[in-house]
Amino acid sequence: MCVALALPASELPDAVVEALAPRVYTRDTGGREVRFYWRAVPALLPVWWGGQLRVVRWGSRDRNGRLPPTGWTWKQSVEEGRWAALAPEEVEVPANYGFMNGVWYRVKQGAKGLLVRTPAGEPVVYLVCEPATRYYKVMTRAEWMPVLVGEVI
Amino acid sequence: MAGFVAHLDADAFYVSAERVRHTDLAGKPVGVLGNNGACVIAKSYEMKAMGVKTGTPIWDAAKLCPEGVYVKRDFYWYEVLSRRMLAAVGAFTPRIEYYSIDEFFFEALPTSHKTDLARTATSIRDHILEAAGLPVTIGVARTRTLAKLFSDTGKPFGAVAVLDRDHERELLAKLPVTEISGIAGRRAARIAPYGINTCLDLADAPGRLVKQLLTKTGYEIWLELNGTPVLPIRTDRPPHKVLARGGSLMGNVADPKVLWAWCVRHVERLIEELRYHSVRTTALAVQVCWKSGDSTGGTTAISTPTDKFDELLDAARTSLRGAYIPRGTATHLHVLATELRRGQGFQMSLFDRPDPRTVKIAAVKQAVNDKLGRFTLRSGETLRLPAVYADPANQFDICDIRGKICF
Repeated sequence: MCVALALPASELPDAVVEALAPRVYTRDTGGREVRFYWRAVPALLPVWWGGQLRVVRWGSRDRNGRLPPTGWTWKQSVEEGRWAALAPEEVEVPANYGFMNGVWYRVKQGAKGLLVRTPAGEPVVYLVCEPATRYYKVMTRAEWMPVLVGEVI
Repeated sequence: MAGFVAHLDADAFYVSAERVRHTDLAGKPVGVLGNNGACVIAKSYEMKAMGVKTGTPIWDAAKLCPEGVYVKRDFYWYEVLSRRMLAAVGAFTPRIEYYSIDEFFFEALPTSHKTDLARTATSIRDHILEAAGLPVTIGVARTRTLAKLFSDTGKPFGAVAVLDRDHERELLAKLPVTEISGIAGRRAARIAPYGINTCLDLADAPGRLVKQLLTKTGYEIWLELNGTPVLPIRTDRPPHKVLARGGSLMGNVADPKVLWAWCVRHVERLIEELRYHSVRTTALAVQVCWKSGDSTGGTTAISTPTDKFDELLDAARTSLRGAYIPRGTATHLHVLATELRRGQGFQMSLFDRPDPRTVKIAAVKQAVNDKLGRFTLRSGETLRLPAVYADPANQFDICDIRGKICF
């Protein structure tokens, strides 16, 4: 899986970066980046949705809610139509870095996400995952990996 | 004026190459991972400062440098930039040795009669940064051994011209003798009892003693350290004596059928090389490294020089049988063409029959792969390696880069 994604601050509108100030980090002398951790409260992710870059809630932690209480879904579940009742939309989650088991790795464009709405109409995104390639498994010791846009690690 | 030699070494080349296309990586600790995603094969200076070394496993590197960013290697891209760098140097000098993917030797020529070699080195360095986006360090000296030593002292992004003996001696005195390529471990231990610890100690030692201790190779290094050029700039790669393909098996392989599949893959890659260099072989060796630490090999002689798949496959089968340890777990495998002959005009044996069908099949296979991509048409035996062929990055390995002298 992938428990965090990060994006250079330059890729986000200034107002968004300002609103996410506690999530802005700098590695060594590199540029600023905004990190989206699953463990953060609230967990958020940037998404390209309706032609706009927006920051929305990442999954759900509500065990009694209508939405699955997780931040991820399997590609196979999506393909089998198990989300159909929630009228999901495929979205892209832009990211330059993914994070899993203590390892940050570079991704080219980002990951694929599935966007659904809460009964109140609030958008929520789930990261779509698939079984990890051997390379990903060795690198992160994870059995699942995010479905990346335009690449397979 | 005596000729001078320049040595160019790209700074943290793989990382710099990634930064060319991913500019957000600038200033960040970056590690490039090898074929399996298990080890760091190159690291940025920021990551090096955190204690990560080449060869450090990813799980250790992530602990040493938790903020590090890891990138999957892409040798195809590294070759593109390497050749761009080669072309940029070619604008300054006609005599270049493509030593390795990130190192060149070349004849140092002043850019004009008013420009000294120090400024020329700086100009070339800056031009490469502009043309290829890569930071490099250049050392200029009387010989290639000195140039390489001095460029290492200038890293990163340095331009060093050491043109007189006093300056040479000053720098050589600061460098341990093990900095010299070719003098490490056992050789260093052999000369240490004679008080030879620095490069200057070696340069000042009697030549006869050096020859006695380090043989002809060491004596040539000694001459070079003293400013006598012995090792020429090789603008063309000398013909190969051996061609080989192989490497890690992407983990442990205990199933003999999978081991055979790897062997077949490397035979197909080896045939590409034999044809590229227009050579054939009369012997095929297979070497296997085992998890137990053992290394075994088998060699099969072939009566007529060949680059044909079926014949090489038969030889590989016999060789692998010789190298195989029953119930062993293999980690690496190499296939080597050890007796190379020119591809045309060779003597056939009395029992060889022309086999136009096989020749035609090989031609079709090559034509299909040339048109549709490498390994589009390949042996069915390799179907046991789906992960290798599913990963497009696995089609290109570092040793596939042609024309360079060194690995």
